[in-house]
Amino acid sequence: MTSTAQETHEPTITRSDEEVVLDSGEREFMFDVRTQDMEVNFGPQHPATHGVMRILMRADGEVCTGAQPHLGYLHRCAEKIGENVEWLQYLPYTDRYDYLAAMNNNLGYSMAVEKLMGVEIPRRALMIRTICAELNRIGSHLIAFGTYGLDLGAFTPFLYMFREREWMMALFEKICGARLTYSYIRIGGVFNDAPPGWLSEVERFCDTFEEKWKEYCDLLMVNHIFVKRTADVGVIPVDMALDFGLTGPMLRGSGVDFDLRKDMPYELYDEIWKDKAFEIPVGTGEKGTLGDCWDRVYVRVMEMMESIKIVRWCLAAIEPGPVIADIPKTLRVPPGEAYVGIENPRGELGHYVVSDGGKVGVRVRVRGPSFVNLAVLEAILPGALIADAIAIIGSTDIVVGETDR
Amino acid sequence: MLTPIEVVEVAAASPASAQGGTNMLNELLAKAPRPEFVPDWVVPLNAILIGVGILVAIVSLNAMFGTWLERKVSGHIQCRYGPMRVGWHGWLQPLVDGVKLLLKEDMIPKGADRVLYVIAPALVLSSVLAAMTAFPLSREFFFADIDLGLFFILAMTSTTTIGVVMAGWASNSKWSLYGAMREAAQVVAYEIPLGISLLVPVMAAGTFNLIEVSDMQSGGFGVLNWLIWPWVNPLMLPAFLIFFVAILAETKRAPFDLPEAESELVAGFLTEYSGIRWSFFFMEEYAAMLLFCVVGSFFFFGGFESPLTSAAGGMFGDGSVLHQLAAFTTIVVKGFAGIFLMMWLRWTLPRVRIDQIMTMGYKYLTPLALLCVLLAGIWEVFLAPYLPWR
Amino acid sequence: MDFQGIHDRLQAIQAPGLQGADEPREPDPENKKDKGRFGDPFVLVDAKLLPAFLQVCRDDERLNMDLVADFTATDPAKDDENLWINVQLLSIGQKHRLAIKCMIPKANAVMPTSVPVHRSCQWHEREAAEMYGITFEGHPDPRHILLPDDWVGFPMRKDYEFPEEYHGISCK
Repeated sequence: MTSTAQETHEPTITRSDEEVVLDSGEREFMFDVRTQDMEVNFGPQHPATHGVMRILMRADGEVCTGAQPHLGYLHRCAEKIGENVEWLQYLPYTDRYDYLAAMNNNLGYSMAVEKLMGVEIPRRALMIRTICAELNRIGSHLIAFGTYGLDLGAFTPFLYMFREREWMMALFEKICGARLTYSYIRIGGVFNDAPPGWLSEVERFCDTFEEKWKEYCDLLMVNHIFVKRTADVGVIPVDMALDFGLTGPMLRGSGVDFDLRKDMPYELYDEIWKDKAFEIPVGTGEKGTLGDCWDRVYVRVMEMMESIKIVRWCLAAIEPGPVIADIPKTLRVPPGEAYVGIENPRGELGHYVVSDGGKVGVRVRVRGPSFVNLAVLEAILPGALIADAIAIIGSTDIVVGETDR
Repeated sequence: MLTPIEVVEVAAASPASAQGGTNMLNELLAKAPRPEFVPDWVVPLNAILIGVGILVAIVSLNAMFGTWLERKVSGHIQCRYGPMRVGWHGWLQPLVDGVKLLLKEDMIPKGADRVLYVIAPALVLSSVLAAMTAFPLSREFFFADIDLGLFFILAMTSTTTIGVVMAGWASNSKWSLYGAMREAAQVVAYEIPLGISLLVPVMAAGTFNLIEVSDMQSGGFGVLNWLIWPWVNPLMLPAFLIFFVAILAETKRAPFDLPEAESELVAGFLTEYSGIRWSFFFMEEYAAMLLFCVVGSFFFFGGFESPLTSAAGGMFGDGSVLHQLAAFTTIVVKGFAGIFLMMWLRWTLPRVRIDQIMTMGYKYLTPLALLCVLLAGIWEVFLAPYLPWR
Repeated sequence: MDFQGIHDRLQAIQAPGLQGADEPREPDPENKKDKGRFGDPFVLVDAKLLPAFLQVCRDDERLNMDLVADFTATDPAKDDENLWINVQLLSIGQKHRLAIKCMIPKANAVMPTSVPVHRSCQWHEREAAEMYGITFEGHPDPRHILLPDDWVGFPMRKDYEFPEEYHGISCK
């Protein structure tokens, strides 16, 4: 039984006492056993759903034969709120959907509004924004990687990663006072300048993190059981990934070299990319098939290091100056509509804003990467073992606050 | 030295005596003054009752210490302290937890099979308690000196599966059922390599009796004659590795904790249990861990024999109280060393998948164990008699 | 390709349903009431032909729009007759974006589904359907996605009235 469940078990098993020749050439005898499919409620209170999500799973023994995600347990009407509060007042709500990468959400929303307004952002603000977004990407990937280990039964790496994330959150606490929902990146810049000594502490964090990062790779990424559990599991081919509109590590895990920071650069990333300061890790199918769970996790783990490089570039290039453009307290955004997609840790975070020139938006649409990435579960879960289903759900790295908004 | 076939024949011929020769409790009670009207048969009855009391105490103390150790080990592995509030370094925490579990509401789910649901934890605990009777605390102090002690332990511990399957079925929850089915599949698969791998030391020792196995490893400063050493039998190390993997699976410890895989099956067969019933399963788990680790130390790591024991024996005489205390300490330390190793593994490794665990059990461990037995038999029959140190 | 290039290409291949383009402009200095139009340029497409349009965009080798980044609806104003369908296309190979806007009347908000072309539209359309009351003809799974199955009304429409209570829970 070295072959994976996908090969040995088709979603619809026809059982007879005749022999079945598998794709691998093995001969398998299926005896005339009557089995009954069982419907299992995977969630809403299940430890591996990373929030309140429910997957109605049909299972034949240990093999999942069908899966239907049910969302909406965490729906908080973020888009409707966007049509009822002022532009600047909406900013704290952006923290709440992808709560693991709140800085990136702030950034995406601010950029969308700035695009309509056409403001010039001070360079120091851009630097600080980039540092914060990349640090938050590291924090988010740490959670993704740690909880993935947790899903597979390795508890300890999770807490090691929380140790580093704790420092990251302490850094954010120093710069803006909040640890999870920052609202620090504002329309027109950032809320305030970095406190004295903050930038050097970020540098110390980078030094420490590089050492610890190697430990994580040794502890989990190349662990034999971990590789066995993730390689060849939940394979998403390239055409399926594009068909489902996957972005971010999900897409790169399938071997597509596409990152908005590189290919459609925004803010400072154009400069950083031209400086060859960072690379885009892409899944290679090193341990199994291209696009399996291991590749997706690999992309995330490697991306943390690239984020460190970007942070280091910014630390070297940052200069004193103003951190926020001259923005009135009550924003009147010029009429028009704009869509801005930025590279969130989970993929493309899109903000589509429509203004009629007033104080309140006409439409604030959030395109959450988790929401789109989750849809692929319906296609790849059938045929997987229950244990593999956990591995697959974990590898999509969803934040339920964002799928439900 | 008996050949393996003779060993089996001899063992099968001698009846397993539940009240073996020199039970210390029996002797002590028989010597104790008692009133005229108390008949003789009260003495063994009392011995049994006291023995059961001691056993239950051992199992619960072991579970308490085990949970505390587990938290401490996991805490320190994970850069934290674990319980620190109740008592010094939280050593009273298990006591407080026990009180909490006792006071918790005893819930039986609406759709559950009430009778089986209630019986299952008791069955699980009683089977491991029965197995514990074959565990000698020292050379003189034991509950039952069974010639087929190893067989008895293996047989009794495998009956816990019935309780677990019962619990999973009676809970009337799909996750519990998954856990129960996994437990059944896993335990059946790993009974085989477990039993076969233990045949290797049994062949070398020539007995199934735990105390006799310990005795035959004496000498050599309490260390050099342990069965694990390659000069005794080079097949012992692979056999031990197979044995260790198999006991990990038997006791449902990570990376083989599939029956209660918390991230997959919520809590497996334990999902619907709460309070004291739930803690029965925990007591069973820790007792089984201790039992298997003790069996491992008897059959591979010298049992009572250690430098401490031999020093105590040399200074205070064989069979003296201090000598026995040293033997008891030795076996407890060895057992908990094994438990520590299991905890270390649990907090380091991810969990394997059900098909991988089955593949490993049936495809690799069982043939390897059989090969070990074959080669060990050849060694024992053809080579061991000519070795100067045997 | 920039927006002008994409628009030229669309006209060159006679993309079905293409109705025109809207580009941002500065406010007219002579007309005080005109505030201009800012943000992104977009193409206007006939809603009935949107799936065919998406397919052409996907299959044309120079456009190569292989990803639907976003698919949503907008209710521009309470007294507006139309709903907008906003689609953001993304090309992985050519590294450009295209914004599409369709108008569908509120009174008869029916349009064909785009799921056969891009499966990523499936959940987006479910969300747009429950939030704006748009019927996507031929959608394989037309259930509610974020709202409860028994929710009445289309909450994201501007004229939506909040219910007094939901299953005995006061909403006010």
